[in-house]
Amino acid sequence: MKLALVGVGGAGCRLVDTIRGLESSGDRQLCYGNLLTIDISRTDDDDFDHVPRDQHVTIGDTHREVDDGVAGDQDLAVEVTRTDFPEIQRELDEIRMRKLDGVLVVAGLGGGTGSGAGAVLVERLQELYDKPVYVLGVLPGADEPDSMAVNAARSLRSIVPAADSTILFDNDRWVDADAEDRFDQPNQELASRVLTLFARGQIDPEAIGANTLDSSDIIRTLSPGGVASIGYAATELETGGGLLSWLRSLFTGDDDEESSQRTDAGRIQSLVQQSLNSRLTLPCEVSSAERALVVLSGPPEELSRRGFESARQWLEEETETVEVLAGDDPRSGSSTIAAVVLLSNVTEVPQIDAMQRRAVEHEVDAEAVPTATEDDAS
Amino acid sequence: MKLATIGVGNAGSKVIDRMVEFESETNRNLCRHVHAINTARTDLAKPEYIPEEQRVLVGDTNQKSKGHGVGGDVEIGAEVMSADIDEIRRAFDDIEIHNVDAILVAAGLGGGTGSGGGPVVIDALQDMYDEPVYALGILPGEYEGGRPALNAARSLQSFVNKVDNFIAFDNDAWRARDQTIEEGYEEMNRELAARIVTLLAAGETDDTDVAENAMDSSDIIRTLATDGVSSIGYAATAVDAQPEGLLDRWGGGGREDDPLDDASQATKIKSLVRRATNSRLTLPCEVSSAERVLVVISGPPSEFSRKGIESARQWLEQEAETVEVLVGDDPRENSSRLSAAVLLSNVSDAPRIDTIQNQAVDAQEQIAEQQAEREEKINNLITDENDDLDPVV
Repeated sequence: MKLALVGVGGAGCRLVDTIRGLESSGDRQLCYGNLLTIDISRTDDDDFDHVPRDQHVTIGDTHREVDDGVAGDQDLAVEVTRTDFPEIQRELDEIRMRKLDGVLVVAGLGGGTGSGAGAVLVERLQELYDKPVYVLGVLPGADEPDSMAVNAARSLRSIVPAADSTILFDNDRWVDADAEDRFDQPNQELASRVLTLFARGQIDPEAIGANTLDSSDIIRTLSPGGVASIGYAATELETGGGLLSWLRSLFTGDDDEESSQRTDAGRIQSLVQQSLNSRLTLPCEVSSAERALVVLSGPPEELSRRGFESARQWLEEETETVEVLAGDDPRSGSSTIAAVVLLSNVTEVPQIDAMQRRAVEHEVDAEAVPTATEDDAS
Repeated sequence: MKLATIGVGNAGSKVIDRMVEFESETNRNLCRHVHAINTARTDLAKPEYIPEEQRVLVGDTNQKSKGHGVGGDVEIGAEVMSADIDEIRRAFDDIEIHNVDAILVAAGLGGGTGSGGGPVVIDALQDMYDEPVYALGILPGEYEGGRPALNAARSLQSFVNKVDNFIAFDNDAWRARDQTIEEGYEEMNRELAARIVTLLAAGETDDTDVAENAMDSSDIIRTLATDGVSSIGYAATAVDAQPEGLLDRWGGGGREDDPLDDASQATKIKSLVRRATNSRLTLPCEVSSAERVLVVISGPPSEFSRKGIESARQWLEQEAETVEVLVGDDPRENSSRLSAAVLLSNVSDAPRIDTIQNQAVDAQEQIAEQQAEREEKINNLITDENDDLDPVV
């Protein structure tokens, strides 16, 4: 599908930059250059690799409280965004929405700009367009300041009801504390999932699956609204050996025909299982999902029909919903089999509960010691 | 008979494509007019035998579809098709109706385009032409889940009410094992195409080969004129095959110069019909629940045995518990195969349809329940326990 990308705040802008970078280097296209990044700052200090300069807008530069940014103050970000919205709208007008399926607002929800300006933006975009407005939101990590939990928790209350669906990403799972740029790895990971799920490769009649999922399928899956999570798992096919060697490496000595048929189905199922267990962008109770979608991609000769069917059936049981769409995405010559799963409207998310508790405690502490200075927002 | 064939949606278009392939491989000329109608641009690129100009993309200007399908949603499928009905009617204007005996609309009932849009297309055709309109409907397998079952159960009612006959194909019964996704569907579609073409292509020629019990299109139309659901059985054998138990008297070789005697030819025909009736049917059903039966024996005329055909007819009358049994032949001079296609018209006892309906009722209840709880659950998720935190905007 084709979505305009709108990045808000530092984290959101960087993530859009990463997605655009992946887009330009691969065959999957999502925004086709229709993007905009928005930040609040006194100085226009964009430093992107892939977002063109004229597609970045800095607002709030004349606001007296704005310095390098809003210093984690989401209420200030809301105020600035409302005041300066005409500037954003001018840039939005450049995007040819007629050709697109919707908008994806990308924001870090811990920061002041992402959480505050993001909420205003979703509201305004819904008024401007009659197409779906989705949000890709990054939740603050447990080791980040509690004030970020407050930002994210308050922001979710505004964004989730306003957006057509809010896909969340839990940074904790992916951040590598030892890396030079701790967000680089999670950003790459998230960008590649977003592209795998939403973006198709070139339309080549040979590469059209028996059950090709189209943008209407994704829109329908996301239409209940609420919060969504994306799972992904891939497995390398060994060159030459392919399926069998993969099987043997897992089920050594278990190579009679009947059991290899069983494992063939089991293998795709275990891939889908894997994508849900440790590999969700937002860990959640799978059975709380209202709708689900799964796409299997890989060389067509490796996409077993039984595996496909049993994976779909298994997903229907796990999610406890009949609204499960399954599609195949044959990629000739590919050396991996991948499963990407979209869980829509998940309502049991321990991370969100924990974040809300942290936020409430922080607010209570702040009220108890009104003179305490907040220096944790950066 | 001569048909105008129209595939609606992905599954329907693929079946029509395979039918055209099968008839060209077997020198038949059943499909005089072909159309594929779809809401997804990608799927319309798939057919190999349906000419580019006979593929119609609908809903490409519709906000909910835009050429990207309808997301398996029957309601949107019907809506999109109705909105573009003028375009479809214009396409159907090309049908040279004096050249066809009937119209066949193929559609999958589990998805959105075929199951929602199919009945809309049929309405338009019934409205435009006096010729009978048949449906070739593909029922989703149980393994495809609750939503397709719900789509199919709802859509089946519309289809059956609107068409002159609904020929059913049950994906469950034909579910293949140990195949890739692609091969699985290909295989099923080929099986279905062979059955439907063998059955309906009988009597398609204008200069009829001399055939003693030649079937013509009015026989087929009569058998199908039950307004019900039908199922097809099929069996084929090589022309030079020996009937069971008969030893090769010439000690091997020279078989072609040794036509079977009349008695063994009769046995061969009868056992072929029996095999077709007891074969895996396109829709598994109680044979005795059929209202009318038609059998088409197709192959080189030298293989036809009047005695065999008569005894096959008698046997079927008993099996199907009906006197409305027609058995006819369809001469194919150069064919190397002898085949029998059995049409069981208006079968009323098909367990799979009951299963789909039960699955659909469960699915509908679950969907309604989830919808009713939706707002509350989302609200619980985004609100902290004591509602201490305010929304940012």
